[in-house]
Amino acid sequence: MRRARADVLLAVVASCVSLFAAAAGAQAPNEVRLARLDSSTRTTVLALADSARRDHLPSEPLVDKALEGSQKGADGARIVTAVRGLYAELRTARAALGASASTDEINAGANALHAGLPMRNLAQLRSASQHAGRARVTVPLTVVTDLVARGVPVAVASDVVLSLARAGLRDADFTMFQRNVRLDIERGADASTAAQTRARGAALRGGRSS
Amino acid sequence: MRSIPERWINRVVAELRRPVRVGDDFDDKVMNVVRGMPPHRFGAWSRAIRPRTITISPLLSGIAAALLLAVTLSVGHLIGATRTARASSPRADLASDRGGSTHTAKRRPVQFVLVAPTARKVQVVGDFNDWDATHEEFRAQHRGGGVWSVTAAVPEGHHRYSFVVDDSVWVTDPTAPRVLDDDFGLPNSALVVEGGDVGR
Amino acid sequence: MDRSTDAQIVERVLRGDAELYAELVKRYRDRYARYALHMLGNREDAEEALQDAFTRAYRSLARCEDPERFGAWLFRILVNRCRTVGARRGRRSRTFVSDDLALLEAAEDHPADRTAWREEIDRALSRLRPEQREAFLLKYVEELGYDEMSRLTGAGVSALKMRVMRACDRLRELLSDVRDDREVRVERGFPEVNDAKHS
Repeated sequence: MRRARADVLLAVVASCVSLFAAAAGAQAPNEVRLARLDSSTRTTVLALADSARRDHLPSEPLVDKALEGSQKGADGARIVTAVRGLYAELRTARAALGASASTDEINAGANALHAGLPMRNLAQLRSASQHAGRARVTVPLTVVTDLVARGVPVAVASDVVLSLARAGLRDADFTMFQRNVRLDIERGADASTAAQTRARGAALRGGRSS
Repeated sequence: MRSIPERWINRVVAELRRPVRVGDDFDDKVMNVVRGMPPHRFGAWSRAIRPRTITISPLLSGIAAALLLAVTLSVGHLIGATRTARASSPRADLASDRGGSTHTAKRRPVQFVLVAPTARKVQVVGDFNDWDATHEEFRAQHRGGGVWSVTAAVPEGHHRYSFVVDDSVWVTDPTAPRVLDDDFGLPNSALVVEGGDVGR
Repeated sequence: MDRSTDAQIVERVLRGDAELYAELVKRYRDRYARYALHMLGNREDAEEALQDAFTRAYRSLARCEDPERFGAWLFRILVNRCRTVGARRGRRSRTFVSDDLALLEAAEDHPADRTAWREEIDRALSRLRPEQREAFLLKYVEELGYDEMSRLTGAGVSALKMRVMRACDRLRELLSDVRDDREVRVERGFPEVNDAKHS
């Protein structure tokens, strides 16, 4: 009889869990995914993820960052620092890109901020893109981050990408531009010069007409 | 009981034990069906919520039924309330939790290539596989001449990833946009998979 | 050389990594194709049953009690599918023997000889009653113990032993006229097969 009661209780609990989980549209619960972290770090990360959700920010990148840190052998303190830093960047990116920013844009924006782009550059990129009829800025943000990572000064990288966005460059052309700059740098070109030179060419080929 | 000649049986069995191979498209046929099915979601929890046979007394079953009904009604109300709240919020359908979008977003095949002539093992890790280096579907194969590649299904959208060589060396994708990830001292690459978010 | 265990892969698939299921398919499809082919007698039915087994296994993956033994659990599903497919289709005429041989991986030393011998075996197998064929294949080709066979088929051990015996008798009858280049006559009256090692 005791066992029967336990089974009944389990059925009830399981039903509740499945209903809640279905309502939340959740993947594997984060508690499960973060199981490899020590409990104190896990608790902090989960709390930050909850805060993000309350702030209407994407929480998934925070969990991803913690998992990344864990895999890279970082200790709990370093993981928490990274997650907190990312949280701040996500919030700033969302503020700069606007309330209608998608998760992918916010992620890419956070990366750009982390690379050193000032918040106002993100806002300018959004504005320029909207005027050019572009819906999303995920790819331009990814490209500007890459330029900075390869040694193009922030101001130059930002100017270059802004000008291309204003010219109405499409994602495929942005990708090609990034590839060309990368190749030039790999062959020994000065990063700034490569970026500016290739941007001129891309702006000529790109644009709303093509 | 009649005796069975062992040698005779062995000859028959040896023939029947010869390996058999299925057609080249077998795997694709199976996976096409699998992809069309609702995805699993809950991991180890699935076993907890699978249907179980319960044998209980009529009294207990009545109580259980009433309890279940009460819980279901209250949870259902909660879900309804939550969904209404979400739908009416101006931000609800926008900056959505990428947890939902990552795992329900359409996946597209992406080829990852790394030239690493002295590597013995090359793995792709990223936010699309929890940065876990044991995912076999992201394990690169050596194609010859130091070229390693793998094509795997990645959800649409923006991702960060890296290669892990020989389970120890983290290498960015030389051909991909970089991310200045100095959080953990090891850089990453960025990937935008077209379809959901990108385009004009 | 992959290192993930079946249980690890099952766990990931249950968490939503559906594409990883392809690894399990790869691991088991050839091994189990053999059983399906001999049970059903032709490649088309065998692949259908096998495909069916894999997709059913995926659908009910959460009900796999012991993911470490995913293979055995999958095999049970396949045995059942073979019963269903076999019952539905009845016995097909054994055409496409060369097709079946095309499935063989091993290099052929004497293709013509093997063809004839193989044809005879296949024909004889197809003439067994399904439950006898099933028992024979599970016992001698898949090398399962009677307890495991009982779990798989739902039949009792003594019933299974009887089916295996009858299958052997029938096969010997059907194959007694077959000549093999390497042996002049079919042996009779040899010591009984020692079952101890199989149980």
